[in-house]
Amino acid sequence: MTVEELAQTFSLECLVSGEITRQVQSCYIGDLLSRVMGQAPAGCVWITIMTNSNVCAVATLADVACIVLAEGEQPDAALLDAAMAHGVGLYRSDRSAYMLAAAFAAGGI
Amino acid sequence: MKDFSLHILDIAENAAKAGATLLTIRLKQQENRLLCTIADNGCGMSETTLQHVTDPFYTTRTTRPVGMGLPLLRQTVEQTGGMLSIRSRPQQRYPKTHGTVVEAVCRIDHIDMIPLGDVPATLVTLLQGHPAMDILFTHTVGRQTVRLDTRQMREVLGEDISLGEPEVLTWVASDLAQQYQVLRQSGQAVFL
Repeated sequence: MTVEELAQTFSLECLVSGEITRQVQSCYIGDLLSRVMGQAPAGCVWITIMTNSNVCAVATLADVACIVLAEGEQPDAALLDAAMAHGVGLYRSDRSAYMLAAAFAAGGI
Repeated sequence: MKDFSLHILDIAENAAKAGATLLTIRLKQQENRLLCTIADNGCGMSETTLQHVTDPFYTTRTTRPVGMGLPLLRQTVEQTGGMLSIRSRPQQRYPKTHGTVVEAVCRIDHIDMIPLGDVPATLVTLLQGHPAMDILFTHTVGRQTVRLDTRQMREVLGEDISLGEPEVLTWVASDLAQQYQVLRQSGQAVFL
């Protein structure tokens, strides 16, 4: 499934579209950024509630396919700017990380 | 907590609950560190309470003298490789010099450091909730300092005007916003 299909299938709100044709290979949930940096697999959809600009830096370093902000979180202005500047896919949803990950898993990720 | 200013608000609320009449909040950005000192002249804590104040399992919520604020602040600080220290003088033993000092040192270049957040909004919220408590706030980066001193405001406004009045709060918010704009334009890397 591509980033674009993921967003459409699971009704994610698009903030920055990013690499829409990239394949989403797995899913990672985490809020402690130093941990995410070391553990998130490349090509995953990363679900988090953190919204500061470091989120974009970590997403780039870990080479994730896209970020999903869960539980209705809104990005800080600095995160939105950074995601746009670096072309990192940034999406959001009102659902919890658990509900999102469960839906992604059921959808074949 | 997602913003450091929420920690400041929480610790300041502890001070207000402790009956403080003067609350001092000092932020100082120094190289890769943010030093935050919050001092009050409230009733203070006993040695026993102080030893357990950052332990979330110390006692039940209803009998706990402070909330989860200090354990969470400790987590925020320590996850950046920083340090938290708390000193307190209980009123019973120190009738004239009682109070609590919370000192946090954060590494702002650590990836897990949270943003400082909206400090003016935090101060306005504090003032609104506790208009009788005096607040001395300074935020220093290099030679530049953002300042709020409610004691000076009281001198100018007189005793009849509460600092919780909407006009006063609006003025404080815009004055702080202006000072922060000057700080941001000072050419230094300001952690916010």
